[in-house]
Amino acid sequence: MTVSNWKMDYIGFVLPALIFTAWYLVTLEGGVPAYLIPSPSNLVRVAVDFATGHANLTPYAGTLLVHTLASVQRVAMGFGLAVAVGLPLGFLTGRMSLAKNSLDPTVHLIRIIPGIGWLPIAIVWFGVGENTTLFLISLAAFFPIYVNAAQGASSVPPLLIRAGRMLGANKLMIFTTVIIPASMPSTLAGLRLGLGISWAYLVLGELTGVTCGLGAVMMDARMLGHVEMILVSMIFIGLFGRISDMILVGSFKRLDLLREENKE
Amino acid sequence: MKLMQRTNLSADGINKSFSRPGEHDPLKVLEDIHFEIREGEFVSILGPSGCGKSTFLNILAGFEPADSGHAACCGEHIRDPSPERAVVFQSPVLFPWLNVKDNILYGLKLRKDVRNEAEEIASEYIRAVGLDGFWDYYPSQLSGGMQQRTALARALVLRPKVLLMDEPFAALDAQTRYSMQQLLLGLWENYRHTIVFITHDVEEALLLSDRICIMSKRPGRMIEEIAVPFERPRPLSLTGTQEFSMLKGHILGRLMD
Repeated sequence: MTVSNWKMDYIGFVLPALIFTAWYLVTLEGGVPAYLIPSPSNLVRVAVDFATGHANLTPYAGTLLVHTLASVQRVAMGFGLAVAVGLPLGFLTGRMSLAKNSLDPTVHLIRIIPGIGWLPIAIVWFGVGENTTLFLISLAAFFPIYVNAAQGASSVPPLLIRAGRMLGANKLMIFTTVIIPASMPSTLAGLRLGLGISWAYLVLGELTGVTCGLGAVMMDARMLGHVEMILVSMIFIGLFGRISDMILVGSFKRLDLLREENKE
Repeated sequence: MKLMQRTNLSADGINKSFSRPGEHDPLKVLEDIHFEIREGEFVSILGPSGCGKSTFLNILAGFEPADSGHAACCGEHIRDPSPERAVVFQSPVLFPWLNVKDNILYGLKLRKDVRNEAEEIASEYIRAVGLDGFWDYYPSQLSGGMQQRTALARALVLRPKVLLMDEPFAALDAQTRYSMQQLLLGLWENYRHTIVFITHDVEEALLLSDRICIMSKRPGRMIEEIAVPFERPRPLSLTGTQEFSMLKGHILGRLMD
């Protein structure tokens, strides 16, 4: 690591340190009351208790695992559905004018409607809770996955396709061994966006009335006046969102599908 | 002796035009091209830039159809690209997500007949093009010359009936180009591939080929065919001889016509 790199890394810690200090200062005696902003130390204690249940500080003590599993499962299912539909349709749209002409206009029309705008009709169709959440996640995650896969597939250099054909690949082999790997950088960008959006819509769905899940904890804690639990849930959602993104990117690197970006 | 050898590739009366955006009449690129190459022959197609020589190669490769005329490889009409007519492009056009070995194996793996020996054949050609020890490198980690060596190996492993080369060394620096020319000649002397070599470099054509076909400016026509009289191996010092300069001067003159 060079000196300048080290400096850059160091600089990244300055802003969090400042925020943390400011946070600590405003929560001192006589500052902002604890029902608006809990102190850092209190937050940490509640967070640990949420995970382990050793001190029973809140009604949510020791329930982190249950809520996390519920949330992760919803994200996995909703995102999985979006991938299962979005990737094939995106690749087809990128390579076949028939698919593009028949799908693209409609998809982009629907894409303009914000995901949140689907909430009322989703509740009418699927009722409050589980299925509405899954529907919202899949719908919102579908668009970036579809659009980026299509973009990636349509911008594969024609020479790469010629190279594949003269080496003996038929249409199907060109699709699986040239077009899909060549569109991976763009496709992965779409998957990452989709996964991020999945977490956002998870919270939206869970806020509207499920009993289990990190979003449900947030809403419940607000009603019971546990402000520190709202923040703790937010932090865990951010953490799990980040971890899921790292797993996604990591598995792509593992599969060697990102060579182009991986230059060393 | 040469007359006994079979014709691997032939083109008869090839015409090709491109429609131009915003203009009524199409751009005529190739006019009544006749061409043939026998087994084991090394033929250069030499022409000024923009004369349509790459378009002609694309027709031979099966990437583009001719408007009229007939192109055939070993008696079969050319419709689609095929590993029988492997191509080395001006840029390497390797698959960036595959390492050197997998790039070279790509075409072999698509064939049922050689699947068992694929690895063996690939290693043989990795050695032949001088990429020993680089088989697990990715294209982005290689120099331009090494990338082009990989592209050459990936085409040669398929044992094509004709190897089509589209100005393969034009993008390389002079030193790398010279070593690539030597490499290609060495391989050709070993394996006796049939090679169609597109170039705009007169010296390159004279050093490498048995025969040179000269194309005119657009629309491209074959205006002269020269059997290169120099014995092989042809050292670089050959370029300094009077005979060489005279022939070079003559060809340059034809290119200017």
